[in-house]
Amino acid sequence: MTRDAEVRSSSSAPLAARRRGVAGWVDVRGRRLGGVAFILNRITGLGVLFYLYLHLVVLSQLAVGPAAWDSLLKNWFLNPVFLVLDVVLLAGLLIHGLNGIRVALVGLGLVVSRQKALLGAAGTIGAIVLLIGTLMFISHGG
Amino acid sequence: MTGRVEELPEPTGQSLPLPERWAPPEERETIPGVSWAWQAITGVLLLVLLTLHMIANHFVVQGGLRDYQQVIDYITNPIILPLETLFLVVVSWHGLLGLRAVIFDFGLSARAERVVTRVFLAIWVVTVIYGVSLLAILVTRR
Repeated sequence: MTRDAEVRSSSSAPLAARRRGVAGWVDVRGRRLGGVAFILNRITGLGVLFYLYLHLVVLSQLAVGPAAWDSLLKNWFLNPVFLVLDVVLLAGLLIHGLNGIRVALVGLGLVVSRQKALLGAAGTIGAIVLLIGTLMFISHGG
Repeated sequence: MTGRVEELPEPTGQSLPLPERWAPPEERETIPGVSWAWQAITGVLLLVLLTLHMIANHFVVQGGLRDYQQVIDYITNPIILPLETLFLVVVSWHGLLGLRAVIFDFGLSARAERVVTRVFLAIWVVTVIYGVSLLAILVTRR
């Protein structure tokens, strides 16, 4: 594949969605279950990327010193509001990760005829892990 | 291809080598590109690295999050340091590649897409330099 061809084909959106731009992939009308999963993957991906850079900025407080970090921990991160945000983050990671596995499997031509079953399995596993994770967040306090 | 077809491929959100009968011509993609392969490879790596990161930093720590001294002890572990460095490299690559795909959905020209690719490559390099520098600072504080 030439460089230009690679650049042209590197967007991961379906062709019809690409023709309509971003409005194409946020428009849920007429989409099947997999279409909603695609939109969820995009939204959770953007959310997790935003969190990643926020996380990297916050980690700079470690370079400032123990007082700065421990104060941030005590006054902010162990707050119940952040506990809820931790659960939201875990949910986003699970949706993106598990749906990503499904997309990769289907993209490789594996279990293509069982997309709905794959979605069901991903949803079930995700819900169980989210429940366990939430309980652990609560029991550990953050 | 055998097996029951449950769903058309339009919503899967990736370049798929699917049987032509599953999609109308305008929905058919070419073979998965290099970017798709990178996204899948880094995605699989992240399943392991992110799971380790979440467990080590959120689920097994007394109190929920590591205080300053616990972070220093954790990051100076000779097994953890290369794993966290690899995590930084892989997660930033995966995230920026995903955002690049979203931007490509706006329907940019091939030239604009090349510019976006170079900008994102630069952001990735800066991110890795920042993260490794931070790790280096913390390691020297043991």
